[in-house]
Amino acid sequence: MADSWNTDTGEAVYRSRDAVKNLKIRVRIERVTSTAALSQHLQQHVLSQQDGGAIELETLTPQGQKGDNDEELVVGWQEKLFSQYEMELFQNESACQTPLDRQYLTEIRALNKAKGRRNHRIFTYTDHDRFTSCLPIQQLQYPTDLLTTTKSGPTFLAERMASVRNRRQERRTLDSSIPKSKIVIWEPTEEFVKNSHVVNNAMQTMHIMADLAPPGRLGQKENEYLLLTIKTDGSGTVIVKPDFNKGKEPYRIVTVGEKREVWCLNVENVCTAMQPEEKEREQNMYKDLYVRHKEYLNSLVGQDFEMPPLGILRYMMNGEIVSAKGFEYDNLYIHFFMELPNNWSSLPFQSHSGVTQTCRAKTLGKEHVAFFSYPFSFEAFYMSEKESEEPILQWPVIYFKVLSLDSWQRYRTEGYGYLLFPAMPGKHTITCHTWRPLQTGTVSSLRRFFIGGSPELEDPSYVRIPGTFKGERLSRFGFCTETTGSVTFNLHCLQQARAFVDATVMKKRRQKVLEQLGGFSQQGAVCTILEAFQRARKKMQDAREGLPRDLVNTTSHSHVES
Amino acid sequence: MAELHIIGQIVGASGFPQNSLFCKWGVHTGGAWRLLSGLKEGQTQVDIPQTGDMAYWSHPIDVHYATKGLQGWPKLHLQVWHQDSFGRCQLYGYGYCHVPSSPGHHRISCATWRPLGSWQEQLSQMFVGGGPQLRSPDLVYSGADRYRLHTEAMGNVELELGIIMRHFDKYGVES
Repeated sequence: MADSWNTDTGEAVYRSRDAVKNLKIRVRIERVTSTAALSQHLQQHVLSQQDGGAIELETLTPQGQKGDNDEELVVGWQEKLFSQYEMELFQNESACQTPLDRQYLTEIRALNKAKGRRNHRIFTYTDHDRFTSCLPIQQLQYPTDLLTTTKSGPTFLAERMASVRNRRQERRTLDSSIPKSKIVIWEPTEEFVKNSHVVNNAMQTMHIMADLAPPGRLGQKENEYLLLTIKTDGSGTVIVKPDFNKGKEPYRIVTVGEKREVWCLNVENVCTAMQPEEKEREQNMYKDLYVRHKEYLNSLVGQDFEMPPLGILRYMMNGEIVSAKGFEYDNLYIHFFMELPNNWSSLPFQSHSGVTQTCRAKTLGKEHVAFFSYPFSFEAFYMSEKESEEPILQWPVIYFKVLSLDSWQRYRTEGYGYLLFPAMPGKHTITCHTWRPLQTGTVSSLRRFFIGGSPELEDPSYVRIPGTFKGERLSRFGFCTETTGSVTFNLHCLQQARAFVDATVMKKRRQKVLEQLGGFSQQGAVCTILEAFQRARKKMQDAREGLPRDLVNTTSHSHVES
Repeated sequence: MAELHIIGQIVGASGFPQNSLFCKWGVHTGGAWRLLSGLKEGQTQVDIPQTGDMAYWSHPIDVHYATKGLQGWPKLHLQVWHQDSFGRCQLYGYGYCHVPSSPGHHRISCATWRPLGSWQEQLSQMFVGGGPQLRSPDLVYSGADRYRLHTEAMGNVELELGIIMRHFDKYGVES
């Protein structure tokens, strides 16, 4: 008993890589009449009783035109099935206005000569029909409006979209080639504006309709009802409204008119499924294609990658000096150099210092800022030795000084600073503050202002820990400085070592560089133990051989004797 | 062989004296790097903002490199130009920055500078426009000759870059 109806008539979107011409849908409509309902109910009631029914099932079948209360049809994609109205319309040639109509005329005549059409009530409108474009407006008023009030008509955009013909845009190219000339259209035509301003998805549509007139009165346009709409675009999306309801409740269609009738609709997808061998073949083809593309890419470059030797860490820093701000005078430039501690080395032709351009600052907010955008790249190698010697890993340092040189050729130091290489790889933005040595007294400040020239550090590494410092406490007592501005660096650091390869292979968590490199010393410890063992064994063997021979012989001799 | 994807956009520029700006950009790498797909240089459109200071380009950058070594990591060079209402183009700045070497999404602000001439040239630049340009911008990649330049600070170019690295950890690179 079809008491429950499926009220979910929203559209469903399916995607498929297959060609859309393989789509086949089975549509079944069935009129719900009181006798049919009653007979169905009674049939179920009778069947549920195991003993034979008193009422013969034959008498319960509904009388009348049996074939007119339901219909079931399998429809293919864009298959044109004519309605009674169309059959009558295209009987004479005067009704034909377009070549499509004339084609329909010939088809109908052929059908009439043959055994007639195979559909009765169900018919279709394909993409080319002239009825297709006026359907969306009809859809807005049937069966549910978008809004509850029926006074408001469709909006401007909705009207525009309904009047745009859904035709395929052939002119769109698949690749991203941009026309070199005429990128901007200065005078668009009305058609172009219509096509570009609305959302035009270039879908192919097909409507499956039914003529739900009372029996015997088919062939009138008012009794046409929309059963199903199928839309596809060219790239494998199929939109079906309403969705397939095989195994679920049927949809309900209520006719308007003098006699309101209820029909139920069942939609089922009967496309032939792909054979498993074909599926496998397709997958193999894709796999093949990807493998070949990967091999092509490999062949372009090659398999090797430059690695540092075993036990050596390569530290690569790509950075740039971005800007300097807050300094006293203008026309700044920066002179910097790197310093490598012990156990660090670098390539022979690598430059360790650099000078930026002289830049005139501009006012940004309250400060004067000079932009350098000076990229530098630095590579250093660390050799790990025995762990006992090196308590803490020392990283290289960049020492820099900011100077100003103006058009009168007055040269002043503006500040000294240092930057320690970061221990963790990645991106770092570091702002270093600077100071400059100050000589108290008016003479030095007068000199600095008028002539230029100011005290400089003899050893730039004094900024951090002087190279000549050996002791426990660093005292800068008596050294007078003044705070000046700051310099911003952007650093991108990479570290590479063979030890890291083993770490990822063994899936260890990320450890500090020291611990990972310390693995060498562990291995070294194991090696030393092994070596010690070998030495001890060798010593024992030598000792055994050095023993007086007679001692060994007598023991064996005595053994033999006894 | 390790691969690097740089996928992002040049968002726009701000801080320049005038607003109708366009940008010429390019990616420069060392010898061990090989461009597999994508364009490694280009030029944006001219953008004139109606309100605010920032000119927006949203120009896509999508390059795919393969490399045999870490040297010569890609650098981005930018030239910002100004186009006035008469159609004349004037240089507004050069900017250089390294492409980030850690995977993920990065927002980069690249500072720009332009060369300064003598005071006569600066005076004529104020009235007529123009100004000195670098004879060949490649010279300043390495930075060795930069000390000879006298420049002034100009605006900033904003970039958003997404970095994807492949097979670098197989060769022991931590980034």
